[in-house]
Amino acid sequence: MPKLTIDGRVIEVAEGTNLIEAARSAGVAIPYFCYHPYLSVVGQCRICLVEIEGQPRLAIACATPAADGMVVRSETSERVRQARNAVMEFLLANHPLDCPVCDQAGECLLQDHSFDQGLDTTHMIETRRTFPGLERRRLGPHIVQNQNRCIHCSRCIRFTQEISETAQLTYKTRGNRAYIDTHDGSPFDDPMSGCAADVCPVGALTVKEFRFRKRSWKLRSTPSVCPGCSIGCNVWIDHHERVAYRLNPRENAAINATWMCDYGRFLAESLNHHEILHPQRHTDGRLQPVDWPVALAGVKEVLDGSSSLRVVASANLSNEELHLAKALLGGARRADIVVPVWSGEKRRMKNGAGTWLQSHDAHPNAAGARRLGLRLVDQKGLVHFLYGAADVTVILDPLAHPFLETDEAIQLLRVGTAVVFARLEHPLTRLASWLLPTPSLACNEGTFTSSTGAVQRFAAAFAPPGQSRPLWLTLTALAREMEVEDLVLASPAEIFAHMVRTERGFAGLEWKALAGTTDLSQRERHHGG
Amino acid sequence: MRVDPILLRARGTPDSQSLTAYLAAGGYNAWEKVLQMTPEAVTAEVTLSELRGRGGAGFPTGRKWSFIPKDHPGPRYLVCNADESEPGTFKDRELIEHDPHLVVEGIAIAAFAIKASTAFVYIRGEFVRWAKILERAIAEARNKGYLGKGVLGSGYSLEIVVHRGAGAYICGEETALIESIEGKRGFPRLKPPFPAVAGLFGKPTIVNNVETLACLPHIINRGAKWFASIGRPRNTGPKLFCVSGHVQRPGVVELPLGVPFREIIFEHCGGIRDGRELKAFFPGGSSAPILSADQLDVRADFDACAEAGSMLGSGGVIVLDDTVDIVEAAANLAHFYAHESCGQCTPCREGSDWAVDILERILDGHGRPGDLELLQRICTYASGGMTICPLGDAFALPIASMVKKFAGEFERRIAAATPSPPRKKPVLPWSGPSHGFGR
Repeated sequence: MPKLTIDGRVIEVAEGTNLIEAARSAGVAIPYFCYHPYLSVVGQCRICLVEIEGQPRLAIACATPAADGMVVRSETSERVRQARNAVMEFLLANHPLDCPVCDQAGECLLQDHSFDQGLDTTHMIETRRTFPGLERRRLGPHIVQNQNRCIHCSRCIRFTQEISETAQLTYKTRGNRAYIDTHDGSPFDDPMSGCAADVCPVGALTVKEFRFRKRSWKLRSTPSVCPGCSIGCNVWIDHHERVAYRLNPRENAAINATWMCDYGRFLAESLNHHEILHPQRHTDGRLQPVDWPVALAGVKEVLDGSSSLRVVASANLSNEELHLAKALLGGARRADIVVPVWSGEKRRMKNGAGTWLQSHDAHPNAAGARRLGLRLVDQKGLVHFLYGAADVTVILDPLAHPFLETDEAIQLLRVGTAVVFARLEHPLTRLASWLLPTPSLACNEGTFTSSTGAVQRFAAAFAPPGQSRPLWLTLTALAREMEVEDLVLASPAEIFAHMVRTERGFAGLEWKALAGTTDLSQRERHHGG
Repeated sequence: MRVDPILLRARGTPDSQSLTAYLAAGGYNAWEKVLQMTPEAVTAEVTLSELRGRGGAGFPTGRKWSFIPKDHPGPRYLVCNADESEPGTFKDRELIEHDPHLVVEGIAIAAFAIKASTAFVYIRGEFVRWAKILERAIAEARNKGYLGKGVLGSGYSLEIVVHRGAGAYICGEETALIESIEGKRGFPRLKPPFPAVAGLFGKPTIVNNVETLACLPHIINRGAKWFASIGRPRNTGPKLFCVSGHVQRPGVVELPLGVPFREIIFEHCGGIRDGRELKAFFPGGSSAPILSADQLDVRADFDACAEAGSMLGSGGVIVLDDTVDIVEAAANLAHFYAHESCGQCTPCREGSDWAVDILERILDGHGRPGDLELLQRICTYASGGMTICPLGDAFALPIASMVKKFAGEFERRIAAATPSPPRKKPVLPWSGPSHGFGR
């Protein structure tokens, strides 16, 4: 374990740690553009220069491993300050400085370091180099390129070579005229193309879907988990005034490093879709809004009156919601519960160790349902289940399985009373006797169990719209209504604690120490860009 | 002083490219001798000769070889750098043209010394004819058993592969060259690791210049002591000087290291053309800082040039007479390096292009006070370890030296300038590889 001094702070780091990471752990921020902790080190941008005692030349921190007894000066060295000034000036010589109209402004490494390391003025008076025709080009279905802003850090190129392995991007031509393009000029349709814009430290690559929708400094970031498949990539929900604008990857070396796939990324817009905003009761041949107390009492009455109760749960629900459903409906009411699982499209993600993780199914929490001992069924099992007799059916999530949309499923569910929890209009919502609104993931809090077995927390970005309430809240309210006192719990944390006490699969876990979510407070900006 | 040529002894002899002529002149004797020696003994002999790399850096060849990890299981590779692209340098081409078998024998000796069984010749793309000459020589030698499996009945095997470059100056830099052989874009690599530890395909690799390798058969044949007796201490052996520019008789001349430039230019190349005056000269290719006429007595060897604030480099002596406008020369040079900068490192990529803009503006009659300080600032921060490879230094140091030594010429132009808005044509990325150079 080498022990070294950086700007007067003594720090011990693991063997092989480079000076950027060593300095970070000592609380010294060394600026960088081309360095990325999950990409190869190329040492191109030259802004991370530091002075090392005993070495005549400045060294680049990204490519210098920490050594025992090394004395490094970063911000305390005048030589370093001047060299960084010069590198900033070189970088800005041809950069258009169009920050006011650039969508990257506010989360731009060049802007940030320019404030920290740059000069107030430039010596550059020549006309800037430009790339006519490449100022706002569609590089691919999701990526817009402005080559004028590019600082040639090659992060996007290395991303497609080393992480997504499509090796689509490359430099064309040479020197200062080099520009980013796909090898053969075909569209940049990498399944993780959004990450190329993430790693871009400037506004050269931006995501089409997010461009000009919101200035980055208006956004608040809430940690969450991607609901797109069973891998469970850690994400940030970036939102403003109760609208989710984008999903960005959140670092978790074990699962998604700092990446996410385009499919997951562009689920962001779906988090804003709320069509059912009030509890509703089927009366006079149509669904009519009612107040929550009326709805809760009504549902209790339905449950009390049932002779055989069945529940279609969902692998899209959190561990807490599944646990409550199991304890309240399965335990207290002896309901027959199934969790339909749909394989969906195969998705994959590369973790920090460079290993591809494959998705098992299209749900974020099938592993959690399995851990709770619930019965997981495929389409065949679900059909079989729905053919069984029951006078009351509770549907916790109509999106649990595509089969629920089919005419066959609707015919099967016409018999008896249906209590449906839903967010969007769905064939099943129309035949509900009671329809209860649930919000999207952005308004919910809880945990998912990934297919790798990690129990991961997600937080609520904003309050649910209308009268919509998270399922866990409705279920605890029902528990109060039904006087099941030990399930009257105030928060996902309390439900989780109850689950840890009563479910063997979750024994020993602690809410505050869940994988990858110990620090849910501050978003680190350096990896994304 | 007249010296019998050693490296260029075959120049002017009939049919000098053929194996028959080479064998008649005692060719491949050294190779046969080496096959009776141990690789360590060959390395020791070369170390003793104090041979220094002729490619530009002047690093001791024997020491370079010794950096290969002793216990590495192999394979190891030898690469002959024939990418000769430095402006004002044309010695390797001359060697290949007149004595290709000397180069092949040198490659064989070096490969044997580092225990490589595959050697590559990375030859400049434009050298089509010379690549063919080498390929023919290699095939001839292979047919006669000097190369291939079990060379001359020994247990040692060697194959030589000629790899043509695609026209990038940067691929003469040894790690960019290695990337290029691997089929990648010619980007210099970060060092360490050095090629001797992890080079071509991640294996220990030695990259030696054509001229360096051509010295080896002579060292083996005539002994390290004989080689070390030529030239000056620590600057031993014969050296090819490529004299170009405003001299009476430009061309490649072979002289011992350490002769003064005055002798090279005035005795061996007939002096300055048409009775003109010498203004300045580059001692070692266009990336060496310029020397002025009063530095003619500097000795042409590695240490003396370094002492004079320049470098011997490849030995490409570019002579400028008094008709040369230094500002134009500087702009010409800057264009070349801006065009050839690979684009990886910020200071070189941006600095070289910026220097072009400033120099062109001065030439256009729109220079401004402060331009020279700015040029010096750009050069300072593009050199001295600010970049991955020495191309930053290669463009910055000569320009800095021209601005410093001929400040008066720059200042006169700036003083006569009319202020006007700066201009620069936009760069069209699709305009093809010829764009940007000599516009």
